[in-house]
Amino acid sequence: MSSAEIIGKPLLRREDRRLLVGQGRYLDDLAVPGALHVCFVRSPYAHARIVSIDASAAVEIEGVVGVFTGVELAEWTTPLRMAPAIEGLLPVESTALPLDKVLFIGDPVACVVARDRYIAEDAAALVEVDYEALEAAASFDAAVADGAPLLYDDVPGNLVSHQAFSSGAPENILDTAEIVVEAAFHQHRVTHAPMETRGCIAEWDEGQQRLTFRLGSQAPHPLRSQLARRLMLEESQVRIICPDIGGAFGQKIALLREELVVAALSRHLRRPVRWLEDRMENLLAAVHARQESCRTRAAVSPDGRILALTLSMDVDFGAYCFYPANYMARVVAMILTGPYRISSYGYDVKVALTNKCGSGPMRAPMAIASWVMEGTIEAIARRLGLDPVAVRRVNLLRDADLPYAMQTGEVAGDITPAQCLDRLLADAEYDAFRKRQAEDRERGVYRGLGLCSVVEPSTYGSAFYKAAAIPGSGHEAGWVKVEPSGAVNASVGLMGSGHGYETVFAQVVAEGLGVDAETVRIHMGDTDVAPYGMGTRGARGATAGGSVLLLAAQAVRRKALTIAASMLNLNTADELQLQAGRVQRRLADQWSDTGVTLASIAHVAYLDPLRLPEGLEPGLEAHRAYDPPPMTYSNAAHACEVLVDVRTGKVTVERHTVVEDCGRVLNPMIVEGQQHGAIAMGLSGALLEEVVYDEDGQNLTGSFADYSIATAVEIPPMRVINLGKPSSSTPIGSKGMSEGGVMGAIGAVTNAVNDALAPFGVVAERLPLSPQYLRSLLRGKT
Amino acid sequence: MIVEAYERLPIALTVNGRSYDVTVEPRRLLSDVLREDCGLTGTHVGCEHGVCGACTVLIDGRPARSCLTYAVQMQGASITTIEHHGASGELSALQQALHERHGLQCGFCTPGIVMTMQAWLDENPEPTEEGVREALSGNICRCTGYQNIVDAVLVAAGRQADMRKAGK
Repeated sequence: MSSAEIIGKPLLRREDRRLLVGQGRYLDDLAVPGALHVCFVRSPYAHARIVSIDASAAVEIEGVVGVFTGVELAEWTTPLRMAPAIEGLLPVESTALPLDKVLFIGDPVACVVARDRYIAEDAAALVEVDYEALEAAASFDAAVADGAPLLYDDVPGNLVSHQAFSSGAPENILDTAEIVVEAAFHQHRVTHAPMETRGCIAEWDEGQQRLTFRLGSQAPHPLRSQLARRLMLEESQVRIICPDIGGAFGQKIALLREELVVAALSRHLRRPVRWLEDRMENLLAAVHARQESCRTRAAVSPDGRILALTLSMDVDFGAYCFYPANYMARVVAMILTGPYRISSYGYDVKVALTNKCGSGPMRAPMAIASWVMEGTIEAIARRLGLDPVAVRRVNLLRDADLPYAMQTGEVAGDITPAQCLDRLLADAEYDAFRKRQAEDRERGVYRGLGLCSVVEPSTYGSAFYKAAAIPGSGHEAGWVKVEPSGAVNASVGLMGSGHGYETVFAQVVAEGLGVDAETVRIHMGDTDVAPYGMGTRGARGATAGGSVLLLAAQAVRRKALTIAASMLNLNTADELQLQAGRVQRRLADQWSDTGVTLASIAHVAYLDPLRLPEGLEPGLEAHRAYDPPPMTYSNAAHACEVLVDVRTGKVTVERHTVVEDCGRVLNPMIVEGQQHGAIAMGLSGALLEEVVYDEDGQNLTGSFADYSIATAVEIPPMRVINLGKPSSSTPIGSKGMSEGGVMGAIGAVTNAVNDALAPFGVVAERLPLSPQYLRSLLRGKT
Repeated sequence: MIVEAYERLPIALTVNGRSYDVTVEPRRLLSDVLREDCGLTGTHVGCEHGVCGACTVLIDGRPARSCLTYAVQMQGASITTIEHHGASGELSALQQALHERHGLQCGFCTPGIVMTMQAWLDENPEPTEEGVREALSGNICRCTGYQNIVDAVLVAAGRQADMRKAGK
């Protein structure tokens, strides 16, 4: 294999071997001699005043080191103040542990430290907390109602964010339009449920005055900054080390309170302290996501053309803000119109704080956008009696429209929605399906096929954050270093949790540098080693991380060839290239080996620098940073085929087909794996998963027996076709992927179920599509 | 509430053919003993209530949830963990197929899947896709969407059949 063609090859993952034989090293696999264990005491109330905490019985148990509450933690840490200067967003502040009031079931009120985990749990059960129960606001409507109980004194009406936007006078057009189609979409509360729960190990070194903090983090450097700040330490006093991570999906980005507490306790006790979350804690109190209700109004022409569109969106965010509360909803509103030409658009987005676990981004935080847009298209088709494909086509952006600036200012450049839809209709056998569906209906068998076009926002460059007034940066950093022996090390600020980065980034560096992929080793997740990057989120790994590593590798190659030219007594390196670690020279259109290797160049660079060309520094390495465009957009079209048993309400997904264009594909095997995983997470969420709270704020889903995740039986065979039109605006040519599959699956399966139920004149507008819910729609109609 | 001091009992565990003498409280889970007392951390704990399948080991050759088993029950039993597969330095046919078919991503659920599906393949040497999906349904994977795992199990079954035919 030529080293110029390594990107794009389905190289098998180098991380697999250790994981397959039980030699992976996840957090709880790390032995730390003398480490103390932590167990948190958590609130059984959704909303209550803490009257008193009595730990006297708990500390009597042999092996218990201490019990700590919010009062002590407040001395050792600073509060989190989430207060970006965003119009319509109120600041919210929270302490490490609550001082006087709990805000949801599972809110940690005290922390027991003991010799082992069994003892810590025993002692936690003996901590007596006296609560004065308060009325809970456990839904969006309850939270914003007049006289609702307030979670925070300085958030009136619990309405933490209210943002509105309008362009092209949509309300005027809707007021005078002949045809207005309305549709509603209620997305339920779900959670990430990584197979490895959260946890951390803190080791304070009193001699060095330095904290080593091990945890699974998607974004180690931002986490270090935040941890240092909240512990009142310098960033140079904190080192984050990430071991193998057993899944994250957005839950392992921000510094959450348990982690801060464990770190603070290690420093206070001058002992290593560790915590491993159990599954119930993960389900009740880690981070939830996505509880959003949307309504759209579309003014349309008789042929289905959308003349104006408005979105109103209500978000039930939960009790704590580890992220700006408007962030996820704002992205939905900004990109809603996706692949369609819509010249008049407005939104009104409200976010309420409620007595539930706080929300954060989860793989495709903007997941609802595709369902809402495509569900609106379906509603238009139903109302006008048109084929939903025809309604899509009349609104779809064509090549001549690109680049297309949405009304919100978002610019979609290299997208291919029409090509993806055309290819999908052929591959999913759309016309044949319609025939089969009609025949089956005659027999009382109800099938449905749902389509969903997706425009997936990815990578999020700094300009996007700036424009959206969200603090932070979208750049990524990386370095590539050829060691004196010719061995290649490289690093990037990302941290993966199953992404295959060790393999993919080795491919990128190998091609950029001109060596074999096997010779490149990627080091991530250690803030003493990796450059300050923004981490894994927003489907940015390939585009931000791959681009920066490519740029750094190319810089090293240029220097290596400059040195090689000097070693060969040539005036320039113009006629030289590096292939598989050897320098070749072009002579009469033929590349021939020069005998100079990367190892011999590295030897000169490090150990014989007097032979270097004048002006060149010793060493052979490069450090680069790269800030991607404001947003890169990839796109896809999904088709989901379902069978609905109308007697029981059971949905069986029979197949799922996707045509996706995520730009240049760095490793097709790994990309397809990401696409499968995203589709499965979307289907599982739409059909099965739900965090259920009752109206008093009691969480009824504290185990995997209650919070149901799809197994191999529920997930259908999947087919993914990649079109792969390279991005013209990123060095590596990729556009980002791995979240769009969630978006497309939710929209496609819901449209499919509604297609199946069409003969009964009912429309599912809530998730999950459970048998109980579908039966409630069908009752009296079957 | 009073927490009683639990009596600690000495037991002899046989894990992957090797004997481990440990002293444990009767309530101590087999998963904790394997991971902490025996140092065999390949067995992962995902839910501690028997649903996710990540902690699956073989007890006397049959798959079992080590998070629902007390170590004191294991006196005299023969336990096999993921460390058994790979001790020779070579991947089994199933592990190799999972590698080639990209049947793992974060890898946390993978040891439990290898233990479950290898035992199942031994009893079902000619599986159908539907059969594989059914057998796999006790193991939750949050990353892969299962498709590649199912393919890998079918590939492994085919290779094992070829090896049997070749008389190996």
